[in-house]
Amino acid sequence: MTDTAMEAAELGKRFGRRGGWGLRHCTFRLPAGRVCAVVGPNGAGKSTLLALAAGLLAPTEGTLTVLGGEPASARARVAFVDQHKPLYPQLTVAETLRMGADLNPGRWDARTAERVVAGGDLDPGKRIRALSGGLRTRVALALALAKRPELLLLDEPMADLDPLARHELMGSLMAQAAEHGTTIVMSSHVVAELEDSCDHLLLVGGGRVRLAGEIDDLLAAHTRVSAPAGTSLAPHTVVTSRTTGRQLSAVLRPAGPLPGDWRAGAPTLEELVLSYLRNPEAPAPTELQETTA
Amino acid sequence: MTALTLPSPAPASRRTRWLLRLHRPALCTWAALVLVLGAALLWLWGPLTDAAAQAWRQYNACGLTARCSYDQAAILRYKDLYQYTTLAVLAVPFLTAAWAGGGLTGRELETGTARLAWTQSVSPVRWLATALTVPAVLVTAGTTLLVWLHRLVWTAGEGRIDTADRWYDILTFYANGPLTVALALAGLVVGALAGLLLRRALAALFTGAVALAALWAAVGTVLPHLWPSVTRVTALGGDGPAGAGITVDEGLVTAGGAHVARPLCGIGAHPSCAEAYARLDAVGYYRDYHPRAHYWPLQLTATGLLAAVTVLLTVAAFWLLRRRTATAAVRRRGTA
Repeated sequence: MTDTAMEAAELGKRFGRRGGWGLRHCTFRLPAGRVCAVVGPNGAGKSTLLALAAGLLAPTEGTLTVLGGEPASARARVAFVDQHKPLYPQLTVAETLRMGADLNPGRWDARTAERVVAGGDLDPGKRIRALSGGLRTRVALALALAKRPELLLLDEPMADLDPLARHELMGSLMAQAAEHGTTIVMSSHVVAELEDSCDHLLLVGGGRVRLAGEIDDLLAAHTRVSAPAGTSLAPHTVVTSRTTGRQLSAVLRPAGPLPGDWRAGAPTLEELVLSYLRNPEAPAPTELQETTA
Repeated sequence: MTALTLPSPAPASRRTRWLLRLHRPALCTWAALVLVLGAALLWLWGPLTDAAAQAWRQYNACGLTARCSYDQAAILRYKDLYQYTTLAVLAVPFLTAAWAGGGLTGRELETGTARLAWTQSVSPVRWLATALTVPAVLVTAGTTLLVWLHRLVWTAGEGRIDTADRWYDILTFYANGPLTVALALAGLVVGALAGLLLRRALAALFTGAVALAALWAAVGTVLPHLWPSVTRVTALGGDGPAGAGITVDEGLVTAGGAHVARPLCGIGAHPSCAEAYARLDAVGYYRDYHPRAHYWPLQLTATGLLAAVTVLLTVAAFWLLRRRTATAAVRRRGTA
């Protein structure tokens, strides 16, 4: 088995012949076995990236390798939960799971499916159209998890779950990842939601990958500093800086030791993400992607 | 390692089973339509045709006597039901196109359930193959049965019911032959393609039906030219050009043998017409038409033509789906 779950090179997707680019010049590598957060504002291209990985869209340019091959040939080993959790409304919960078992021969794990569904106090005889958004999410996740995928792609999976269900299902996901070595890629625009469970970050903004790497490495490579206004931040790479009154605060990638009179601290993941999103011109630390491999 | 981890895709029988489950209402509607329409055609073929034929015999036996007793209701019942069933048989291609656009592909793409299927180890190409093959079999079987029954009804009434449709009456011409089956299959593909293109159920429903109407109109336009027509020349002075069947062209024959258009002057025997004809040096009428013997050649060539168009549309549907979604082992522009 390959040690790379996903690898993109100059990946781009344009919608329509003269339409806009949903994603362009994306190059990154995601090692297998990671829990990866795909973070970015609404409309950044997160869903496009996940759909490309699931083989639901064809790239306009560049390449995307999934589990060592084309997304289309990895279909059986990849599970995907769409943002809108589409399910057949006319089927019952039990029928939906039976369909999953029928269409994924040789992979289906009925016990996992039942466990995920049972957690939500779901009546298996109930039709999908009668379920609330949260319960529908649960069924969609049950379908995805019971497939025992090697790569699990989740687009905004927790959006309509209550905190308790969110906690429980996140636990199921992490257990799956730990038990089977499943690579999980999940998108969200709420960074805090992913901070505790993810170890890898893919920051997408404006159709580009802005930041990619292990979260610990990314945090270690950046420093949040406060200095008197007017201080030169050279030669460090500034991600974002802001002057309020006599105070200059910045997030930067130190190029060497920082002066002693600066107050320096480690940024939180949210601060790091926000600083990159605030400054679209901030250079992406490409060397980080290579060292994390 | 890869050989071990690559499971075989779900067999076609399972995909078929789920397709039928998902479209159970459509399947039941189709079964009910075929049963009810089939039963109506059988009723028309047996008791109603006999009753109407009996009434016509009574009517014709009356001759010119002032008082005539015959079962007029039977004649009207036959005529009405024949008309309704003919229209119902011809509605099948439209229903198929609307359903295929709205229910089969349009809705799945609109709600995203197609994506659900494509991530359940069923590739988009396999998904479309199942979605077209299974309905195609059911539509062909049902429509063939209905068309065969319609032909049976028409044959039973021919020569016995004075007001029965002739073989070349437009609705009867279609409803009596395989061309309607070909139209139903074309409707299935046209609708499915509309759904794939538009990705909206309601829009695809209407587009599918309208596109089929356009296709039908096109077939109707080229149909008379698909087989060489027969020319019949008759002398001037009668009721005009003669020859019963599908008319391709008609007019006047001049003394030189040329075919010219007939001037608009009413009936040929009228003095003003005779004058106009004389000026054109006309010696007779001509009519290019298809006699009854051309029924099967016309039906079969048109069916073949439509089948070829349907194949092209099917290829287009697969091409569109492959272009839009990731397909195994296909190199695309720009991937190099």
